[in-house]
Amino acid sequence: MSLQEFCQFTILGLTRGSLYALIALGYTLVYGVLQLINFAHSEVFMMGGFGGMFVIRALLGPSPGMQSFALATFYLVLGMLAGAAAGGLTAWVLERVAYRPLRKRNAPKLAFLISAIGASVFLFNFAGKLWSRQPQFVPQFFEVNKPIFDIFGATMTLIQVVIVGSAFAMMVFLDRLVATTKLGQGIRAVAQDAPTAALMGVDIDKTISRTFVLGGLLGGAAGFMFGMFSLVQYNMGFLPGIKAFAAAVLGGIGNIRGAMVGGLLLGLVENWSAIFIDTKWSDVIAFVALVLVLMFRPTGILGERLGRSA
Amino acid sequence: MRYQTLTRALLIPVVGALTMTACANSDSNNTASGNDCVTGADVAAVAASDGGGAATTAPTTGTTGTNTGKTYTIAFLGALSGNNPQLGINEANAVQLAVKQANDAGTLPFTLKYTSSDDEGAPDKAPAAAQKLIDDPSVVAVVGPPFSGTTKAAEPALSDAGLLSVSPSATNPALTSQGFKTFFRVVPPDDAQGQEAAALLQKYAKSVYLVDDTSEYGKGLADVIQKELGSTSIKVTREGVSDKTQDYSSIAQKVKNANVDAMYYAGYYQGASLFAKSLKAVGYSCLAMSDDGTNDDQFIKGAQDSAEGWLFTCPCADARVDPKAKSFLDAYKTEFNADPGTYSPESYDAANAIIAAMSTISGDVTRDKVVEAVKKVDYAGLTKQVKFEPNGEVSGKTIFVYGVDNGKRVLKGTTTDLLK
Repeated sequence: MSLQEFCQFTILGLTRGSLYALIALGYTLVYGVLQLINFAHSEVFMMGGFGGMFVIRALLGPSPGMQSFALATFYLVLGMLAGAAAGGLTAWVLERVAYRPLRKRNAPKLAFLISAIGASVFLFNFAGKLWSRQPQFVPQFFEVNKPIFDIFGATMTLIQVVIVGSAFAMMVFLDRLVATTKLGQGIRAVAQDAPTAALMGVDIDKTISRTFVLGGLLGGAAGFMFGMFSLVQYNMGFLPGIKAFAAAVLGGIGNIRGAMVGGLLLGLVENWSAIFIDTKWSDVIAFVALVLVLMFRPTGILGERLGRSA
Repeated sequence: MRYQTLTRALLIPVVGALTMTACANSDSNNTASGNDCVTGADVAAVAASDGGGAATTAPTTGTTGTNTGKTYTIAFLGALSGNNPQLGINEANAVQLAVKQANDAGTLPFTLKYTSSDDEGAPDKAPAAAQKLIDDPSVVAVVGPPFSGTTKAAEPALSDAGLLSVSPSATNPALTSQGFKTFFRVVPPDDAQGQEAAALLQKYAKSVYLVDDTSEYGKGLADVIQKELGSTSIKVTREGVSDKTQDYSSIAQKVKNANVDAMYYAGYYQGASLFAKSLKAVGYSCLAMSDDGTNDDQFIKGAQDSAEGWLFTCPCADARVDPKAKSFLDAYKTEFNADPGTYSPESYDAANAIIAAMSTISGDVTRDKVVEAVKKVDYAGLTKQVKFEPNGEVSGKTIFVYGVDNGKRVLKGTTTDLLK
């Protein structure tokens, strides 16, 4: 195996990993404030894919042809915003319908889990009924496979640059938001100690709701980007969702930077194992890596807790 | 503590950046060069040869007896939802059409009903879907299941219940040697397809990358091809990628890096269409072939321009190009407002063969009698003469080759034509 191949698969791993990271952030944010695994988050991702696809389709038709650079950028941003909006809305509704009523009645944690799984099953079947179960595709409006630059003979294509670039931008944005803004302060306060935060004047309901929306925005945008290079389908969230959840645990669930690191790492390990061993084994290797990490660091690479993050 | 976390968090991007720099520093003279290879476009289309049997419409073999007022149900069992529902829909529609035509012809001494049971294409759901039909006493025969994996899972129950099933498209060779007493199929098994695909690959390529989707069907077919090519000088690289995969970029990159003349994907259209996109993305331009599971317009819809030049081996006849299937094509279009797809004609043949067999039964139609009657059936179908060997295998075994030309699926001919 040459260095070129290694670099090529590193690029693939970074692309896949940055999507995992974006989704993982949704799990981790919600876990931070509620200590709840939002298993319906994979459906937030799916809704983002559909939202983005529908907007692009409505604006450009099913086969739009290649657009100029300025227009393509415009539509790309628009699609991403539409995906994010769809994801954010889904997450908001989810919190309202599936979690808040339980929270108000002080339901046990297990009830949340069942509610999450129920919401997930409902959502993907609903999407399947509504928009057909056939795979669908985001119309291509720019040359996705255009090589942008070479690193040791390994080409990075436009779509990869777009995905990695925007994912990193969003991650930095989220990191800053949580670290510096008032909302971020609220999120961290609720994560550390909700009752005390309430005493200090933090509106817990609002903060939790906004945390869901924040995770939904990122997950939805990831859904659109995923749809651009793969497909949009009612069950598209399942595998990426599980992987991203694993990534969140790997990095330290509840820890924002942990989710980013976990996502990237999982993407890289999957792709590296594909070249070093066999594609068939990539999931096995990825999860063996997960177990190994958790054996030596049970709280994940960067440790648990949202509140602690700088 | 806080400081420590920060350092750790900062460390990761730094390590990442170092990796990238390491990559960036190296020279780039190692770009993969294109090799001389045949592409799908180079395989000229041969005039559609007659692989089909005699033209027939609805079966009229029935003894023109008076209608006894009895009603029997012919069911379709297979994927109508899930990841790959298109084959199932193609087949279910054809069964429905055959039942309707038989009733409209009015020559049968009984009335037929149609029902379906959806197994979502998932082997773990197939037994329950089969049980639903077994529990319905009016069901005397089943068309399906379409997939080999679901067939293997559903057949034990069907066999125990003595309920006939005729699959239009389950092609795993082992299915007819499992001791299932009521399993028949109107399609040649994968060994026939695999042998012919291997012969084609041998003609066009010196090195082959063989990828299966790890399903019952894909793996079985790839095993046959690998075995066939194993005795030749052709270099075969074999790999499996789960059919649940949504990101084929790493396997596509491996195929590209291997610098092979041809790639054969054994699997279904959904995986194939994503794989095709990824192959195009990494710049693979040599021959890409797949099988009957991919030979569907849904593949082109998914892969779009990446579908161009792909070839498919298929034991199936295409109703849209075979002039003998004209009346079937028209009737299907009127009924469902869509073209018949892959395995629609085979499914139509399966249903009609069952109906023809049922019409020979005297007295009440029972499940046992239907099984016995089907063993003796000799029905001139659209795709072939439907006549079963004792193990449930159909007698005629022709393999067709299709290709994607200018965004459309066309018949390139039979393998016998192409290997001339």
